Amino acid sequence: MNSLTGKILKVDLSSGQISDMKTPVEWVDLYTGQKGLGSRILMEDVSPATEPYSPENKVVLTTSVMGGTIVACSSKLAITTKSPLSGTISDGSVGGHTGAELKYAGFDAVDIKGKADKLSYLFITDEKVEIRDAASLKGLGTFAVDAKLKEEIGDEELKILAIGPAGENLVPYSCISSEKYRQLGRGGIAAVMGSKNLKAIAIRGKLDVCVNDLKGLLKYSKEVTERDEVTADDNEIYDLGTTCLVDYSQESGLLPTRNFQEGTFEDAEQINGQAFKDVRKNKKGCFSCGIACGNYVEEGDTSVEGPEYETIVLGGSSIGNGSRKKLIEFNSICDDLGLDTISAGGTIAYMMEATQKGVHDFDIRFGEMDKALNMLEKIANRDGIGDEAALGSKAMSEKYGGEDFAIQVKGLELPGYDPRGSWAMGIAYVTAPRGGCHMSSYPIAEEAWGELDPFTFEGKGKLVADMQNSQFCKFSMGVCDFWPIDDETLGRLFELSYGGEWPADKVYKTGERVFNLQRMFNIMAGFDRTEDKLPGRFHKELLKAGPPKDIAYTKEAFDAAMDEYYAYRGWDERGRPTVEKLVELGIEPKFIEAYKAVL
Amino acid sequence: MPLKFDLSKCTGCKLCQLACSSSHYEVFNPEKARLKMIHEYNDDGIRIASKSCILCKKCEKVCPVGAITNNGRWMIVDEAKCIGCGTCVDNCPTKIIFLNEKKSTICDLCGGEPQCIEWCPKGVISLKERKGASA
Ligand code: SF4
Ligand code: SF4
Repeated sequence: MNSLTGKILKVDLSSGQISDMKTPVEWVDLYTGQKGLGSRILMEDVSPATEPYSPENKVVLTTSVMGGTIVACSSKLAITTKSPLSGTISDGSVGGHTGAELKYAGFDAVDIKGKADKLSYLFITDEKVEIRDAASLKGLGTFAVDAKLKEEIGDEELKILAIGPAGENLVPYSCISSEKYRQLGRGGIAAVMGSKNLKAIAIRGKLDVCVNDLKGLLKYSKEVTERDEVTADDNEIYDLGTTCLVDYSQESGLLPTRNFQEGTFEDAEQINGQAFKDVRKNKKGCFSCGIACGNYVEEGDTSVEGPEYETIVLGGSSIGNGSRKKLIEFNSICDDLGLDTISAGGTIAYMMEATQKGVHDFDIRFGEMDKALNMLEKIANRDGIGDEAALGSKAMSEKYGGEDFAIQVKGLELPGYDPRGSWAMGIAYVTAPRGGCHMSSYPIAEEAWGELDPFTFEGKGKLVADMQNSQFCKFSMGVCDFWPIDDETLGRLFELSYGGEWPADKVYKTGERVFNLQRMFNIMAGFDRTEDKLPGRFHKELLKAGPPKDIAYTKEAFDAAMDEYYAYRGWDERGRPTVEKLVELGIEPKFIEAYKAVL
Repeated sequence: MPLKFDLSKCTGCKLCQLACSSSHYEVFNPEKARLKMIHEYNDDGIRIASKSCILCKKCEKVCPVGAITNNGRWMIVDEAKCIGCGTCVDNCPTKIIFLNEKKSTICDLCGGEPQCIEWCPKGVISLKERKGASA
């Protein structure tokens, strides 16, 4: 007995066929769950050359192997696809209760392909799985979809993944709302759902989840959560959630302000952790999580779970907005329309700077929040200039100019950390498989907020690669970022839940294997070192305040650091994993053969 | 001694329900817990509520075969007697009794060591001392 359900649900929206397959143990042993399993399922029959909006692309939901158990912070859900924004493999993950619910419904994963002939939603329970008509949900925001389905089905505990108008209208940075207020899927997973005519997935499960060694797991799990102070009341992440980072970034001079032109924001105190705590109504925790980082806030008529740090930056300082109320509105509108706050904010910031600099007049300037909020609607509805803004800052800058200040990597807009204030973040951004993202590694915690010198590249290639491997095993084996768990503890929890032997080095290798698998996909999709680059701004302009003041972040030094990174990873000078490396990692031969063909 | 809840501290993590189902059935399943925490968003904001045995003893009165008794601190189901008719389920004012494998299932305070209290990370749950109960 182990913590898997043993089943993968397969849905072909074109034919309407629903079936299931046994969860292949070999896949779990190599790639575990969530991120790793999602990548593996996607790659089983989606070629890296697949057109993202074609019926052949997939939307793959994967749970955590420990999901549904009592292990703290272990029940996230991942969704993987080929991104229409970056063209890379792209997976997003969400906490809350949806991942656990899917396990209780009896599935480790859901593998969706094809295209429904009309707008549909997928209904998954332990008793039945159905593709249902969603005509009445057409054009609705995600909040309304959540309410309507709960009411129609008559169960307030349904867990609903929904796309908004942005996903239906194929905005390549539309995202999915889960349980109304949690979001996932940077890089447009919602648009891939939209392209499949899939408006929502409603899940409810009532089956058991068992584990390999129950007594052992209960004892060990309690012991290590207490040891690591996961549930301590003075945990800052519990107290403030990610909003605590505003003050840190401001002090470190890397708080993106007016599209990364500056690194400190004069109104930071109005949108920091304390400011949002002042309007907090409740805390909300994910399933089995003792931390509860979620903040449910209300101001005026608007309520939202959040805003998270990244939203505060991209909908706040980076568009010149110091109003907490407007930020909450920005967050709520994005969530309801189903837009990624980071890419939406990043694109609007680009338009503001283009207007400011006279590169192109988009009639929107820093701080003009009413126009910004209106632009969100235009983007989601592909209305007027919104139709172009919907394509993101990279596409816009290619047409209108200002490429140096289109703040993105591989088309994915950057989150809330200026790499000039924490140098390794730049390496992290360009090597993250899905494009400009902070989730694949977070060296800022060691640099700007830790003991390491943030203004040197020495040893940083190795640092970033090591952190990525650890993050990738955490996000595959299934523990939230906010538990700073070590590989040994993670492995032991995995043994007690799933079984087998998982010493620390095997755990670490799993992360490295998954990271390389995603890189292989991207190389086969046509990427290499050429795309591992930062926007020109960071190398050409100096920050003028705070710790990074006047310190040059040169392209030459960056390139040298990248050489070090690739070498440490066992990749060639073009940033491609070597065949020897892939063999050493135990990647399956059939993938290596396909990969060799493109080298 | 029924359970009492400080709902203002609850974060909806369901660790209490997992502790309950694992201690009684050796599985993780919030649906098989003898208490239930609701922590859901709706149009009015957020709804937080708890359901648990309040020791009203109505089940004891309605059970047609006398399978349910109490020891003054918790209810006791005699599974050998229980015929799985569901009368207790239908009459439970808090709707917390359920049938598991055709047997009535009610909070037994884990025999005096409530696991939900033990596992709740936020100190939401405690035991309500009854008036006049001796120490
Ligand atoms: S006291 Fe025990 S049986 Fe009662 S609800 Fe809590 S965990 Fe369940
Ligand atoms: S364990 Fe505590 S915080 Fe979590 S749902 Fe139960 S009562 Fe609420």
